[in-house]
Amino acid sequence: MATVNCKDFQGRFELPEDSPRSSSPGDLSVQAHLRDCPSCRSFIEDLGKIRAAAAQLLASDPEPPARIWFSLRAELEKEGLIRDTPSKTPSKSWVRELFSGRFTALPRPVLAGGYLAALLAIAFGLSGPINSRINRQRWLDGTQSSTEPLSAQLTSAEKASFSSFPASESPVTASLHQNLEIVDNYISLCENSVREEPENELAREYLYEAYQQKADLLAQLNEQ
Amino acid sequence: MARVRRIETPGELPESEAIRLAQAGNAAAFERLYRLHNRRVYSLCLRMVGNTAEAEDLTQEAFLQLFRKIATFRGESAFSTWLHRLAVNVVLMRLRKKSATESSLDEMTEPDEESGGPRRDFGMPDLRLSGSIDRVNLQRAVDQLPPGYKAVFVLHDVQGYEHNEIAEIMDCSIGNSKSQLHKARMRLRELLHESMRDKAREDRKAAGNAGGED
Repeated sequence: MATVNCKDFQGRFELPEDSPRSSSPGDLSVQAHLRDCPSCRSFIEDLGKIRAAAAQLLASDPEPPARIWFSLRAELEKEGLIRDTPSKTPSKSWVRELFSGRFTALPRPVLAGGYLAALLAIAFGLSGPINSRINRQRWLDGTQSSTEPLSAQLTSAEKASFSSFPASESPVTASLHQNLEIVDNYISLCENSVREEPENELAREYLYEAYQQKADLLAQLNEQ
Repeated sequence: MARVRRIETPGELPESEAIRLAQAGNAAAFERLYRLHNRRVYSLCLRMVGNTAEAEDLTQEAFLQLFRKIATFRGESAFSTWLHRLAVNVVLMRLRKKSATESSLDEMTEPDEESGGPRRDFGMPDLRLSGSIDRVNLQRAVDQLPPGYKAVFVLHDVQGYEHNEIAEIMDCSIGNSKSQLHKARMRLRELLHESMRDKAREDRKAAGNAGGED
């Protein structure tokens, strides 16, 4: 029986989990070496632990932030890869599809109150110190390129919604208009914050959130 | 992929249909494909570069390259394999650019033995990694792997790809994938031992200092 040294053993060892069909450690010389060598036994054990710990890493990975998609979509549109952009007269469905709503089930006074609270929260939340980072301009450019198409789509949706309304407004519509005004203010506040602190992730998240709220309101307006 | 199976909820566009529609420029199909795979691609990028801002950038770049080429996808390989191949290339390209000199694939996988790369002392009295391995320590060790080892390790041990899939993603042989993985794990073991020894030394030093103060 040929003898096996640690270098040979550790160099060619395969974890049983990696190749379930092979019966590693295979031949008798390998088994004999393993029986007599605590160093190689601990080697096998350690490799198994590393593999088990690595398998846990995926579950702990964070979700990719929403802005990646916004930015990617803007780039796809810019390059003409998306060829079915929504029509000039937006329908309720695309507004809903593009910005899946979270606030539609809420009564309108709650909405207005919520937006006001959000407005105050963001005013407090974004009043922290400005981080100086080298890539400020890069962040700003990235944010602008990802939000401009959204902003343009919302403006066109808004125009289309208003043009289809009768001259006299119901109280509900008036309340929606009021909410829209609040959200518009919220958006400009967020835009200012992003301009001032382009690398502030929170500011950019709030800006996207504000666009989503506006889209939601427009969808409600269309339903009236 | 052995470990993770994706579940499609009823009413969602199947991947094959999303690919067909995306080839025609359908926005919802692009988004569907992005949502199906973004987590794994982002995770791969994050594990490879260890920096969230850069991982976001690389994820976007990988999907952008994918969508630019989607019209040429004929289904010869699995879509996710194709995407991961693009993502790995994007990451490795970035890492190559970051390094001061142009590195060959060998340099990205094999530590330079002459310049004091890891030296293995077979048969020496050995420490055993005690208990389970802490996630933070493991990630710190993974960060120190050469990019080629790191890619194979992340794809196999973290993401659950099989060697035949990794061979396709990395454009190498199955044997090469197995060998890179083995070397990656051995290097990780060494790095984890080093960190254990450092910690033990610090603990002894702290205990010595505390004893001297008494």
